[in-house]
Amino acid sequence: SQVLKNPQQNNTVDYAQPKQYRLGGIEFTGIKFLDPASLTAVTGLKVGDEITVPGEDISRAIQKLWDQGILGDVDVYVTRVEGNQIFLNFDLKERPRLSRFEFSGINKTQQDALREKINLIRGKVVTDAVLSSTRNVIRKYYAEKSYLNAKINIVQKPDSLLPNSVVLNINIDKGDKVKIAEIAFEGNEAFTDKKLRRQLKKTKEKRYYKIFTSSKFQRSEYENDKQLLLDFYSTEGYRDAVIVSDTVYNISEDRLAVRITVDEGDRYYYRNISWNGNYLYDDAYLTRVLGIEKGDVYNKQELDKRLNYNPAGVDVSALYQNDGYLFFNIDPVEVKVEGDSIDIEMRVSEGPQATISKVNVTGNTKTSDHVVLREIRTLPGQKYSREDLIRSRNELANLGYFDPETIGLNPIPNPAEGTVDINYTVSERPNDQISLSGGWGGPIGAVGTVGLTLNNFSTRKLFNLSEWRPLPSGDGQRLALNVQANGKFYQSYSLSFTEPWLGGRKPNALTVSLFKTIRRDSRSEIDSRLNVDGASVSLGRRLQWPDNFFQLSHSLGYNRYTLKNFRLFGDFDNGSSNSISLNNTLARVSIDNPTFPRRGSQISLSVNLTPPYSLFTEKRNNYEYVEFNKWMFDASWFMNLAGNLVLNTRAHFGFLGKYSSKTSIGPFERFRLGGSGLGGQNIFVGTDYIGLRGYDDESVIDTADPTLASTGGIAYNKFVLEARQLISPNPGATIYGLAFLEAGNNFGSYDRYNPFRLYRSGGVGVRIFMAAFGLLGFDYGWRFDDLPGQPNAKRGQFHFMIGQQLR
Amino acid sequence: NDVDKKYKAALEYYEKGDYYRANQLLEQVMPLMTGREEAEQARFYYANTHYQQREYMLSAFQFRTFYETYPRSEKAEEAMFLQAKSLYNDSPDFEQDQTSTITAMESIQEFLVRYPNSEYAAEANTMFETLSAKLDQKAFESARLYYKLHYYKSAVVAFTNFLRENPSSPYSEQASYLRIDAQYRFALESVPDKQQERFMEAVDFYQSFIDQYPDSRFLRSAEQVYSSTQSELEKLKKNNPSNS
Repeated sequence: SQVLKNPQQNNTVDYAQPKQYRLGGIEFTGIKFLDPASLTAVTGLKVGDEITVPGEDISRAIQKLWDQGILGDVDVYVTRVEGNQIFLNFDLKERPRLSRFEFSGINKTQQDALREKINLIRGKVVTDAVLSSTRNVIRKYYAEKSYLNAKINIVQKPDSLLPNSVVLNINIDKGDKVKIAEIAFEGNEAFTDKKLRRQLKKTKEKRYYKIFTSSKFQRSEYENDKQLLLDFYSTEGYRDAVIVSDTVYNISEDRLAVRITVDEGDRYYYRNISWNGNYLYDDAYLTRVLGIEKGDVYNKQELDKRLNYNPAGVDVSALYQNDGYLFFNIDPVEVKVEGDSIDIEMRVSEGPQATISKVNVTGNTKTSDHVVLREIRTLPGQKYSREDLIRSRNELANLGYFDPETIGLNPIPNPAEGTVDINYTVSERPNDQISLSGGWGGPIGAVGTVGLTLNNFSTRKLFNLSEWRPLPSGDGQRLALNVQANGKFYQSYSLSFTEPWLGGRKPNALTVSLFKTIRRDSRSEIDSRLNVDGASVSLGRRLQWPDNFFQLSHSLGYNRYTLKNFRLFGDFDNGSSNSISLNNTLARVSIDNPTFPRRGSQISLSVNLTPPYSLFTEKRNNYEYVEFNKWMFDASWFMNLAGNLVLNTRAHFGFLGKYSSKTSIGPFERFRLGGSGLGGQNIFVGTDYIGLRGYDDESVIDTADPTLASTGGIAYNKFVLEARQLISPNPGATIYGLAFLEAGNNFGSYDRYNPFRLYRSGGVGVRIFMAAFGLLGFDYGWRFDDLPGQPNAKRGQFHFMIGQQLR
Repeated sequence: NDVDKKYKAALEYYEKGDYYRANQLLEQVMPLMTGREEAEQARFYYANTHYQQREYMLSAFQFRTFYETYPRSEKAEEAMFLQAKSLYNDSPDFEQDQTSTITAMESIQEFLVRYPNSEYAAEANTMFETLSAKLDQKAFESARLYYKLHYYKSAVVAFTNFLRENPSSPYSEQASYLRIDAQYRFALESVPDKQQERFMEAVDFYQSFIDQYPDSRFLRSAEQVYSSTQSELEKLKKNNPSNS
């Protein structure tokens, strides 16, 4: 394909014998708009070069010219040969270039989507190949949307502005959306058509009552669904089932029919399962772990799961792979098939134990190595363990710095040394949050909020400007700033800082926080105000006992309330009040992913205590030194029901108590239940706001007494059953839908406390987690019960949520 | 819409040092200039405007396109060097992922093989050494992390790997010393049955340390660990005389 013989020349180029020449000259013919000098530069050839003809140099020159994408044809001729000098002629064909392209017949969104997909580059030549590949891309795009009859017409017009250029007009007529009218099966005896239809996940019949089901026909999904159908047969013991034939045909312009003929074959059962090659564990034990008995329906998928990896329980590999036997291999062989019975021999190869040699992390473009490595539980020198590997994955996901769906674990064994290197790959995701919001804060009017949360901050890099990209980050520290105000009447400032590994040696998290709020009464004539200032220091650590999912934290807090002509509670309107308390929390957290947990649980018991002043001194009032003890219990459990459907069950309890029988429980730290639980802009710090959807904010209390209703309760409990379905796992915006049933109550005194007397509600909602904003939610709740004293309140209502709700 | 006018304006901005504007204009005219004589110069300038604006990812890519398109250009050598230098400038701190450092080192090597006598060769060599020292530091700090976390067994494995793979690194001496200390501490917290063997290993590490670094700045500290190891071994011998 290299050098063509010039018909006027008689010196032949012998392909069998490449010869060395010196390049005497290059000329270009057939060009109208292009410049010969720059074409020569493109070829990479220079007059005076030693070249071999035929040979590499000319092939490369042709390739380079082609790569420019501006030519329709390239021929190379030898013009003449003088001694060892050769003269070449490049005969080129110029084609018109693309100056621009436009769509017609479709809307803007689809135009933009297609623009992304089609590979038309301005300035390149328009060839038949370019046109037909454009057509194919568009056809495929519409086929995926089930417009199977889309018509594409591409018209070329010369561009009046630029010489030798064309404008493409791509006209598309989508036609009607084609849907599936009917799916029929033949040859099925063991299962009904209806059951089989259900196995096709993306290929569905159009029915007027199926509002949420798409009945598009997509070829690739259909092929996939046929495999799912066979998989279904195979899980039911029909391991010989095949699709004999299938056909898709038009029954009208916009309706298709699908007909699938199956041959089911026989149903098979397990007979004898024997083990071979196992030294560490005996046959009986392995059979017990496998959990398959003689007479069970033969199910290859289930067998593989039980042997290799069972996310929901134990499997045979786990026995070995959690104890260093990385090279462990098991091969189930069907040794005998008799009638409908199958004998299986498990051929086990245990191999040696592998020790971890190196642990590497890649992809941390922002986060420092030590922040990642210190969370990883596979350590050099340890025996390989699959369990540790998975645990490390969860720990990395829970850091929140990386996209949990793309954390990679890659053990690279080195059988010669008996070691294994473990490579973790992560991809950073933005996780700093900025919030800017305005809202209506009930009694105080409009409130504006500015918040900044940096979740992967670095104080170490604070004074090194070259590390500001755009902020000093990568050391896993958390810095949060929040300002809320509506001008004169309400202002709130808060600052908190967390170092998760205090001292860098152990995961002891230190948090320091400060806050200040100022509230003035807008209706009052005289200066009337409430200031709340507070500070807290807390230290949290991970425990190794009872297991290493436990955490214990202690927090010492001080709040000071200063009142001036401000009627906060009944008889207290001037002076100051101090609250010193020690909060101790014991928690066990084993969820697998912080944004959308699929499995695991979260349990926490917290006790918040002030010193028991009343036991030692004759206290004058309840206000000067606030006194209480507060007990909170929260449990949340996640269960993966199927695929991306998760059931979350929660229970929450809270009790507020006193130390001495002589005093009564004060107004601080009480519970307010109902609504979204957002806490009405958090005006009074010493109050716990807990949501109960379907009811008004802070409205739920087991009494009609208005004073108690405004102070809050001293004991509450709440139970939630919530099903969640992940809609979009995209880390930029994780979206899930939910449906809930919940019930709760809030009690003003222990005499009335009854955990079974509950106000119930149900509803649906959606949550969107956006890296830059955190979690946003929108729920519609419907109450089932009437609150005392307000039987006519509306039954259904919307709730808007910001941030992850703990309770 | 006039290509020539735009290109002229781009050159003016380029000369003036307004690389942002020059870049914007060049980006518009470049596809329409393919095949013309000025295309070569335009492409080099375009790459350089990215470089000057510290957009090193983009400049690396554009310089590469340049020398692949015009391998015989006078500017090819400079383009190849600037591509390597773009990658060099883009290489992150040792604490982050080093994939781009490795790419940069490969480019520098490619450049040095292609133009061994280049005027940029000395600078390229310095760049290469800087990057290679960065990788050494990363490997060393990862190993030292286990030491800091008191995972002594892991630290010994990690230091041993480090010494095997980077025998002549500036950090080898310190790694070699820390390995003795980690091994000693690992032995100290081991069960009595294993202690003898593990202290002996620390002695081995000490011996190879003094053989290799007889005048080490860590010699004093290493000797202290060594004598502690010896006294531990003596204690073991006293408690269990039959076992040695």
